[in-house]
Amino acid sequence: MVVTRGDAPMPVDIAALSAAQIRAGIIAGRFSAHDVADAAYAVIATRDTDIHAFLELTPSLAYAAAERVDAAKEAGEELPSLAGVPVAFKDNMNQVGTKTTCGSKMLANYDSLFTATAVERMVDAGALPLGKLNMDEFAFGSSTETSFFGPTHNPWDLERVPGGSSGGSAAAVAGGLATITLGSDTGGSIRQPASFCGIVGYKPTYGLVSRYGIVAFGSSLDQVGPFGKTVEDVALATNALVGRDERDCTSQDCGTDFTANLHAGVRGMRIGVVTSMNDAPGVQPEVVAALHEAVENLKGLGAEVVEVDLPHITAAMSAYYVIGPCEAFSNLSRFDSVRYGYREPGCELLSSQESLSRAVGFGEEAKRRILLGSYLLSSGPYEEYYVPAQKVRTLITRDFVRAFGSVDVIISPTSPRAAFKFGEISDPATMYLSDLFTIAINIAGNGGMSLPVGLGRDTGLPVSVQLIGPQFRDENIFQAAAALETCYRIEHVAPMARPGAVSRVVEPVMTIGSPTPPATMKGGE
Amino acid sequence: MPLSESDVRAIADYARIALTDEQVPQMAVDLNSIIDSLDPIRRIDLEGVEPTFHPIGDLSNVLREDMIAPSLDRDFALSDAGAVEDGQFLVPSIMGDE
Repeated sequence: MVVTRGDAPMPVDIAALSAAQIRAGIIAGRFSAHDVADAAYAVIATRDTDIHAFLELTPSLAYAAAERVDAAKEAGEELPSLAGVPVAFKDNMNQVGTKTTCGSKMLANYDSLFTATAVERMVDAGALPLGKLNMDEFAFGSSTETSFFGPTHNPWDLERVPGGSSGGSAAAVAGGLATITLGSDTGGSIRQPASFCGIVGYKPTYGLVSRYGIVAFGSSLDQVGPFGKTVEDVALATNALVGRDERDCTSQDCGTDFTANLHAGVRGMRIGVVTSMNDAPGVQPEVVAALHEAVENLKGLGAEVVEVDLPHITAAMSAYYVIGPCEAFSNLSRFDSVRYGYREPGCELLSSQESLSRAVGFGEEAKRRILLGSYLLSSGPYEEYYVPAQKVRTLITRDFVRAFGSVDVIISPTSPRAAFKFGEISDPATMYLSDLFTIAINIAGNGGMSLPVGLGRDTGLPVSVQLIGPQFRDENIFQAAAALETCYRIEHVAPMARPGAVSRVVEPVMTIGSPTPPATMKGGE
Repeated sequence: MPLSESDVRAIADYARIALTDEQVPQMAVDLNSIIDSLDPIRRIDLEGVEPTFHPIGDLSNVLREDMIAPSLDRDFALSDAGAVEDGQFLVPSIMGDE
């Protein structure tokens, strides 16, 4: 990251500043929150035509928030933790004054009637809400290709997907369009796009963050979390997000300061490695190499590395593709063509209006998942798949509890491979393998973070590791991630967003090379 | 046993999704491919294992006092509906042939 210095007024480079640096810059009078909003919308105007991270811009909300920050600064008040930080939200998060489309024709004209708690808490912390971000339709996907409004492009290589389903959230940060974004994660939808876009993405333990106002997909799996360029930015956002909300009965009290352990190091920490998981079929050699290097780096920092076994994790994938679609089937039954959502005109009967509206309003992947849930919840398949999947959840949860008896954090790859090209994966069952390593964590409810560890030796694209913590001990994740992060010299935004980059000129990623050297690794190969 | 096309029509009907005749065969192929991939679930020994329906193990019903509080304005709440009459949702006929 480029650290900006000096007292003279200067143009604000969103891509080069961390959240804490933006707040500090406003406090020092180097720029105003209004200047930050100006800078953010200026880069969005030039770069987002190529990336397509945003579905909607909300300048009136962002400038109103900036005015509050600047007035507080003028009045000599202490500024809140995310004062002036440009943020944006996945478009399944309701915010009054915006549409909430879920990337679907079904909700293309839906105006938010209330504001999600997570959105409210970011704005209460002084952040500037720039707009709403693209996603796979109803969060069904791993590439953002299923959005009704067209795909988002990976800022590292516009020919490639940003991952998904929170692809817009990841691409906005990697493209230098926003400092922190929020996504939701049901089976990997924060961590996998963070990995594809080379940034930090964190799914908190189930229950840490309120889901009130987020359009539900899998209610026993969904969790909201932040994306950022650094572990510190993500910790600051997490501090703002967590805690009990009476409008989500699964949300829990939380008194943890997630920035507290960022400089504690990992000496004496026990890091678990799951050999069976890391050598799973389909995992690319560059991903395995980067993982081994990360493990060596942790050892070099003084951590103790311990092999752990998660014997039932191989069944996580199939358990997820039972539980997820069943819960989605139930949650998406609310789209009845009457109260909100797409309504097929000219129907004489309510029943035909409902089934035609759902046929036209939902895209192909949404229909597949709903029908899968419809089948799995019918008598017969319910006993054959649904109940066994919930029993597998018991076994997977026990595996994690046992493993965390001997380690503080578990490390694995985030995704079996780096970002793929548009259209490269068309078979649904193969696409689902993108979430191989992330799904088990949603099933067990633990927290997990994707941390970039440099560029893959074969593809030159960002590769990440996943750090997993015991339930409600997410501070362990932040401690290990912040320490590991110091081993790498990584540009936290894509080449197109770096100082000196010529906007709108897209080079093939393999030839970008310098001026930014690949991440340097300590130890390892 | 793989899903037949008539099975697909039945589950689509239950899910209130009107599939066209052209869509049914491909949907049957896709669903059968996904269902095949669920097979590991059936091959694990689950004897004596209790199901977990929710990741926070010790969380049971969460209750609060019943309180009167402001809620959404009626017209605002109706503003996303496709058809409204006299402050209520308007729907087509619920009975009849079509």
